[in-house]
Amino acid sequence: MTSPSTAPWRLVALASTIALALAACASSSPSPSGSSAASESAAPSAEVVEIEWYVGLGTGENEEQIPAEEAVVAAFNAANPNIHLTLTVVDNTEAADTLATRIAAGDSPDIIGPIGIRGLQSFGDQLLDIGPLIASSGVDLSEIDQSLIDVYNVNGKQIGIPMAVYSSFIYYNKSLFDEADLAYPPHEVGEQYEGQDWTWETVREVAMQLTVDASGNDATDAAFDPENIVQFGLDAQWTENDGRAWSTIFGGSGSVLAADGTTAQWPDNWRTGLKFMYDGIWVDHFIPNATAVQGLADGNTFQSGRVAMDVVHQWYTCCVYPGEGDPAVSDWDIAVLPVGPDGNITSKLHADTIGIMDSTEHPEAAFEALTFLAQSPELIQTWGAMPATESQRADFFAGLAERFAPLEIDWNVSTLMLGYPDNPSHEAFMPNFAEADSANKDLGSRLWNTPGLDFDAELDAHVELLQGIFDEAT
Amino acid sequence: MRLTGGSTDKGAAASSQRSRHASNASRREWRTGLLFIGPWIIGFVVFSALPMIASLVLSLTNFDPREPDEIKFICLANYARMLDDPILRESIWVTLRFALMVVPLTLAAALGVALLINSTLLAGRNLFRTLFYVPMQIPIVASTVVWIGVLHADNGWLNKALEAAGIPGPNWLQSPTWVGPALVIMGLWGIGNMMLIFLAGLQGVPTELYDAAKVDGAGRWASFRHVTLPMISPVLFYNLIIALIATFQYFTQAYVISNGRGDPDRATLFFNLQLYREAFGFFHMGYASALAWLLFVIVLGLTIVLFKTAGSWVYEGGDR
Repeated sequence: MTSPSTAPWRLVALASTIALALAACASSSPSPSGSSAASESAAPSAEVVEIEWYVGLGTGENEEQIPAEEAVVAAFNAANPNIHLTLTVVDNTEAADTLATRIAAGDSPDIIGPIGIRGLQSFGDQLLDIGPLIASSGVDLSEIDQSLIDVYNVNGKQIGIPMAVYSSFIYYNKSLFDEADLAYPPHEVGEQYEGQDWTWETVREVAMQLTVDASGNDATDAAFDPENIVQFGLDAQWTENDGRAWSTIFGGSGSVLAADGTTAQWPDNWRTGLKFMYDGIWVDHFIPNATAVQGLADGNTFQSGRVAMDVVHQWYTCCVYPGEGDPAVSDWDIAVLPVGPDGNITSKLHADTIGIMDSTEHPEAAFEALTFLAQSPELIQTWGAMPATESQRADFFAGLAERFAPLEIDWNVSTLMLGYPDNPSHEAFMPNFAEADSANKDLGSRLWNTPGLDFDAELDAHVELLQGIFDEAT
Repeated sequence: MRLTGGSTDKGAAASSQRSRHASNASRREWRTGLLFIGPWIIGFVVFSALPMIASLVLSLTNFDPREPDEIKFICLANYARMLDDPILRESIWVTLRFALMVVPLTLAAALGVALLINSTLLAGRNLFRTLFYVPMQIPIVASTVVWIGVLHADNGWLNKALEAAGIPGPNWLQSPTWVGPALVIMGLWGIGNMMLIFLAGLQGVPTELYDAAKVDGAGRWASFRHVTLPMISPVLFYNLIIALIATFQYFTQAYVISNGRGDPDRATLFFNLQLYREAFGFFHMGYASALAWLLFVIVLGLTIVLFKTAGSWVYEGGDR
């Protein structure tokens, strides 16, 4: 018989246990970090097709960007009563893992992006070939350069339409050139520099004159002290130690994958380019090593005002603030890239797109939404991107001119460099992509941190390692 | 007889009733116990036991969460791959090297601080005990971010202090040589828990043993060597096991300082970080599951070895 005094306690215990279990169940339900108001609009009717747009793999997940994305989603829903587009925003650090888990659970979203070329490679096999949809819908891509469209053609599959593009070029600190009494680098392709062809060799000579130690000696002086450098001639900041990126900047286009699609390689022009960088760090000292970079505005080296030339992409306008910080860059402009060891100018290209998952049950509706998103300048604007569509660029550059006034930046250089994209891309497909990509960054890290390496032996060992990684994929 | 018999019957009935009551009480106790322990059992089964079984099964497959339909049973191929994985070998070496540095140093530091705090000569012992324990309350990510600033090559306090003493400070976090010692220094900051356990052990050593040692002419070192150490050896053993397991599970600090990549030059690519990269960076979930089981076997093996050696140096109630 239950004692009257214990019964209430048992009830309390039972109720607590049930409450705990319910709470645990409730808290275990995942909720996207930024589920939008747009997704909570009125319930669609039975015939309405649900399409989910998944944001977070690239830019687009910042708080200030979400309202613009929600507005575009709302505009799409208002204009397309038969399709209900919802927005799911996931924090960038967990977006790839979350997407992979959702794919494994058979719960893929329909559309993903914006996402860069590298990010797309991780999910390239899961993306729909939108080539036939482009052809059947008659979407006008005439304003987008074909070379940019080709960037998203992976193994014969068109997996995206370029929305935003970011050419790379040289940002240069005019004050440091003035101080050294040196002419500014060229703004036009084919223009010479002080009677010399504008090549990486010329850049090396100029950069050494702009590299200065604590005693004021430049890197061409015999008395130059490489242990106490206060100003560097050249950098290529924020490349994530990527061996492929550095090789492309200084060596031109190339691929670690031979034409047979299975053999690992490091092309000769990439060896030359990467050696240029390695010697620039450890022999000629005009490029900062990993340690020195930490002392230059914590890696935002051009902003430190102590780097004369910096090869970075168009998106770097995000993070250069004239006059802010001490020291800081105060007067700068942009110049064209020089001719590389392969005899070509190569502007390493970054691009963002939106893709459709091949698991979508409604490819036509998803493509309808994708087309709408790709043609929404508000999105490009909120992502701070340069539009791939030519007619939208004037507004983009007008915004930049206003932002950096009174500096008069020659944005024509950026447009010029779009004509020299790396092809194949430095972020192109490799078998076992994520692991191979990581190995390339390990190589970059080693070169950036370690003097005195047997360069060729390192590269040979790396190619062997890559081959093993490629082989795992087959 | 009747009385007796009645008494016997009554006695049997009472006994039977008592037995039923006892049985009912026992069942009630059992049910109540189950009710209270139920959430834990459910949690253990759902969040530990089932994932462990799942990971064992996955370790025999090529599971990639991006391509769930293409999952294949590959027998022991993931385990065979470990033998031929140079990066795994590097990660094991990084972890072992770190363990060799950090385990003895943190044990010694925690014991040293505990001895100081246990000293009757120290004023404000409670304050010091709190101060040494406080770092344990700071989230690891937050403390690591602070340490990144402290260890900064140019602007960090540590190098500024070394510079003031005329010693050029190394590049703690970017140098493959120095990043290990940098992590050890960070580890020393988090000895609070270990220190508290040592302190409890020290306070449990009977004072008469010290008195007897003193009578026998033992100095401070001899007392420590022959009284304190043997008496706290069970606590030392416990801390050693816990430290070793924690070292093999070392992850967060390495992840934060290297952006999850093991930089510089894979010098911080600890076993757990490599496991994480394989699972969530490269989506090799099958191989990562096999690595998780390897980690389990390594830690279990080391623990068994330590338990086997414990008989020769751990004092349990006066017996070795």
